[in-house]
Amino acid sequence: MSSSKDGRRVVITGTGVVTPIGLDVPEFWTSIKAGKCGVSELGGFPLEDLKILIAAQIKNFDHKARLRHFKRDKIIMHADRYSWFAAAAADEAVKQAGLEVPFVDPYRTACIVGSGAGGLVTFEKSYRDLFIENKRATHPLTLLRIIGSSAAAHVGIEFGVKGPTFATCSACSTATHAIGAARDYIKHGMVDVAIAGASESVINYGTMKAWQALHVLSPEGCFPFAKKRNGTVLGEGAGILVLESLEHAQARGAKILAELVGYGMTSDAKDMVNPDIEGPSEAMRLALEDAGLAPGDIDYLNAHGTATLINDRNETNAIKRVFGSYANKLPVSSTKSMHGHPLGAGGGIEAVACIKAMEEGILPPTIGLDEADAECDLDYVPNVARPKKLNYVMSNSFAFGGLNAVIVLGPPPA
Amino acid sequence: MDDVATKIIEILKKHMKEPRDDINLSTALTDLKIESLDLAMIVFDIEDAFGIEIPYNANEEAGDFKTVGSVVDKVKGLAAGAPAGAKA
Repeated sequence: MSSSKDGRRVVITGTGVVTPIGLDVPEFWTSIKAGKCGVSELGGFPLEDLKILIAAQIKNFDHKARLRHFKRDKIIMHADRYSWFAAAAADEAVKQAGLEVPFVDPYRTACIVGSGAGGLVTFEKSYRDLFIENKRATHPLTLLRIIGSSAAAHVGIEFGVKGPTFATCSACSTATHAIGAARDYIKHGMVDVAIAGASESVINYGTMKAWQALHVLSPEGCFPFAKKRNGTVLGEGAGILVLESLEHAQARGAKILAELVGYGMTSDAKDMVNPDIEGPSEAMRLALEDAGLAPGDIDYLNAHGTATLINDRNETNAIKRVFGSYANKLPVSSTKSMHGHPLGAGGGIEAVACIKAMEEGILPPTIGLDEADAECDLDYVPNVARPKKLNYVMSNSFAFGGLNAVIVLGPPPA
Repeated sequence: MDDVATKIIEILKKHMKEPRDDINLSTALTDLKIESLDLAMIVFDIEDAFGIEIPYNANEEAGDFKTVGSVVDKVKGLAAGAPAGAKA
């Protein structure tokens, strides 16, 4: 990876989310500031013998209303729920960016929208139809709904993106890898504009059973860094950014929200579930180096913070390794305490939280943190949002398989 | 129009962005602006409604499906156990 200084500067001009605590960025950010919890009783399908009965589900998303104005994508209404989330978040981001669609220079535009698992809800339904209901066929659009690139394709079709269009897939680092890849395409001059992020919607019986079998879900709630934490809580949603080269954004007079100043990625190459200290800390170090910043320049760190026993301790230790004694002064929080763990979409949603935090000078809290784990001894911004002027922020994404991706965001260039 | 025709027109309308009320047996499917994916969904719904299987390949010209009437005839034939029936 080369330093940002070697390529074009990349800025963010649009943000979009669909989350359990807000169906668009303003509602999401209001909830974050209020410390609202999106975890609720699991529902919407037969729970049968499930033992974990909570999740951060999106319960009031009306795709028909939200995507009614879509014109170019004729079958968006028939798509999987994960594609609806992606389409809605991308729509919000593109509108905020004020970009003309279809894009004037479509081949100079990228659409990198990932998903950790694609249309698993459709997958389960079609297998239920075949194997339990003995239906003679699956719905004709089953395949298109399931494939992990369908969200990228739907978004690309609606906005007329004709440049690099694909999905990333790296479990919980999916969105951050998508944003990083888009950053590099713009930085190195392949494209000028990119829609990038990820979407996830996998909460169904089969997924809950699979996660339950891994024994990493909490039956009570998502309490990152807390002594009482006992696992993560599945979430769903989408987080998507519009990225542009600085000159492209300036030339059209766009409002610049932030600059993507650093990106680092590593792989532990060690274990499918147990994270290492070296991989995550090296990803943070590389992101800092890429940004040309010192550890002490970072004013806030949005942690991966899943609330599993091992992640939170390991991440705390990795932060200490990178930031040294400054780690004790660095506010670190996990917004997953509020929006749950949206798997592949996490890094996108959290990037939006970081951008809003910088814009308003407010640190998002870690809620449910009544008593911290003795081995998690940093400033996790417990329970209540806190004002602080933020120049540079870091966002961590660490995935199963040891796949790490970290971005550093900075203020809009003067 | 009989029940089969009424049901088929109802299915066609369900899959049209702007359903029309002037569809009759001689209406050409091309006039209904039905595209390949819509056709796959229409065939699926018709199969479900009548408990039949319509031999149809999206790679081939849909020769049997030129008009609404040709679809109705095809469905009646298949429902009566004509060649290429439900168990194909």
